[in-house]
Amino acid sequence: MIKIPSYIHFTQAGLMTSIQDLGRFGAAQYGIPYSGAMDRYALAQVNFILGNPKGAAVLEMAHTGPEIVFERATRIVFAGAEADIYLNGRPVKYGQVTEIQEEDHLIVKKIRKGQWLYMGIQGGFESETVSGSKSWYRGVSPRDKVVKGDSICYLSEEERFYPPVETNAKIRSDWFRPSQINVYPGPEWHKLSTLLHNRILKKAFTVSELINRMAYQLEEEIANELDPILTAPVYPGTVQLTPSGRLIVLMRDGQVTGGYPRILQVDNISLNVLSQKKAGEKIKFGLIDEK
Amino acid sequence: MEISYFRTHSKLFEIIWPREISLSILQEQLRVKAYLEKEYAEGIKEIRMGFNTLSLRLTKDISDKDCFDLVGEIKSSTLSVFEYQPKTWEIPVCYDEVFGKDLNNLSKIHKIPIEDLIHIHHSNLYTLHFYGFLPGFMYLGGLDARLFCPRKEKPDRLIPAGTVAIGGQQTGIYPSDSPGGWHAIGKSPVKLFDIQQDPPCHAQVGDKIRFLPITKEKFYQIQKNVQNGQYTLKHD
Repeated sequence: MIKIPSYIHFTQAGLMTSIQDLGRFGAAQYGIPYSGAMDRYALAQVNFILGNPKGAAVLEMAHTGPEIVFERATRIVFAGAEADIYLNGRPVKYGQVTEIQEEDHLIVKKIRKGQWLYMGIQGGFESETVSGSKSWYRGVSPRDKVVKGDSICYLSEEERFYPPVETNAKIRSDWFRPSQINVYPGPEWHKLSTLLHNRILKKAFTVSELINRMAYQLEEEIANELDPILTAPVYPGTVQLTPSGRLIVLMRDGQVTGGYPRILQVDNISLNVLSQKKAGEKIKFGLIDEK
Repeated sequence: MEISYFRTHSKLFEIIWPREISLSILQEQLRVKAYLEKEYAEGIKEIRMGFNTLSLRLTKDISDKDCFDLVGEIKSSTLSVFEYQPKTWEIPVCYDEVFGKDLNNLSKIHKIPIEDLIHIHHSNLYTLHFYGFLPGFMYLGGLDARLFCPRKEKPDRLIPAGTVAIGGQQTGIYPSDSPGGWHAIGKSPVKLFDIQQDPPCHAQVGDKIRFLPITKEKFYQIQKNVQNGQYTLKHD
């Protein structure tokens, strides 16, 4: 099979465009977060449809998407958030393989539903691997977000493409509609009173404007009865109770240790769902009872 | 060994020591970590450390009873063979007010002359408990209680890489530019985090850190050597 190194060129960067894969493991001991796709379910979907390895690097976008010119032929798939996407002026379908020709021009307009949109490409993107991952993170990978004029490499394949699944398999974006976020009790959960337990589990929380790849802050304040803890390990999905009483959910780029009480731990699947929530959307925590 | 545990779910649990920052707890943590890495290597995905915690992500499911039994096993095992032999690293720091922008303010808060503040800071030997907050950020134990100072209420928008600062009961060096609420007292010309190197940080958890006061001239000289790749951090 002939593979030719080719580039996508960004004529517009978009607001938060980066390359992500399954993340970087084994470097947390030096304070390096996992990173990786905010919505790993969407990452898996685009790679599955393209017949790529599970963790092939994809383009992650949020808010306002980029404008891209492709150097050579390839195939792409979009999943995750829903946006108006146009290829040479014609709408692109969500969750389906789109054939790309040389010099094709793609515009990702404003994201309508959800937060993070993913574009998979046949074979995955070929950005630099650092500590076992191609995910971009400031100070670790050479780049942290796409700027206008950037280029990213992919391998253009001349061979015919054999889709691994029935092409009419329907990929939908409604899987991240549920408002329930499943959680396990965190190490400091049992230090809270039963009253607060009930309040946290019965209340609807609103996703605030303060959301990024590191953390999502929730709006409602609850009474904080707990002292800060000695700095301890935290993970993507750890829910911290801050001194002001606001809850912060750590996301993929979250720091590896923290000093706020860790009251809950979001389940892996729910973390993908949560990542797709926009500011103003309501969520409810559902406690997973293993016993 | 005074330890308990908390199991978050079947693949994540932590071993908990009493709530204090101490050298003896750190030594116990390192022995337990080395023991688990030897005995249960295939079941462990990752171990993270805090001041009084050892958090384990697993590749295999663990029940609450398994956790209970494991803690019992650790308590009854002889772990002295896993003693870590620490190195001592010498990190040059320029305590000039050009870099130590908050020295004057700290001096007023503590009613200690600036020279004495600096002297107290570099006289102590510090211990690396773990990395966190930012890539390459060292959580150090050993700050003299006279230098404790609450974090700024309004964090600075930019603390330059290399800045040596005090926040709460801790001191540390910012490995990269970052916003932060700590009080700047100096700056090191040394690169403390370099992803191009393997490992990307010099000091290992358990190692000692000594701050070596240098002049501004020496700072710029070392900085130049660092940029030319002609500087290696020294240890004993």
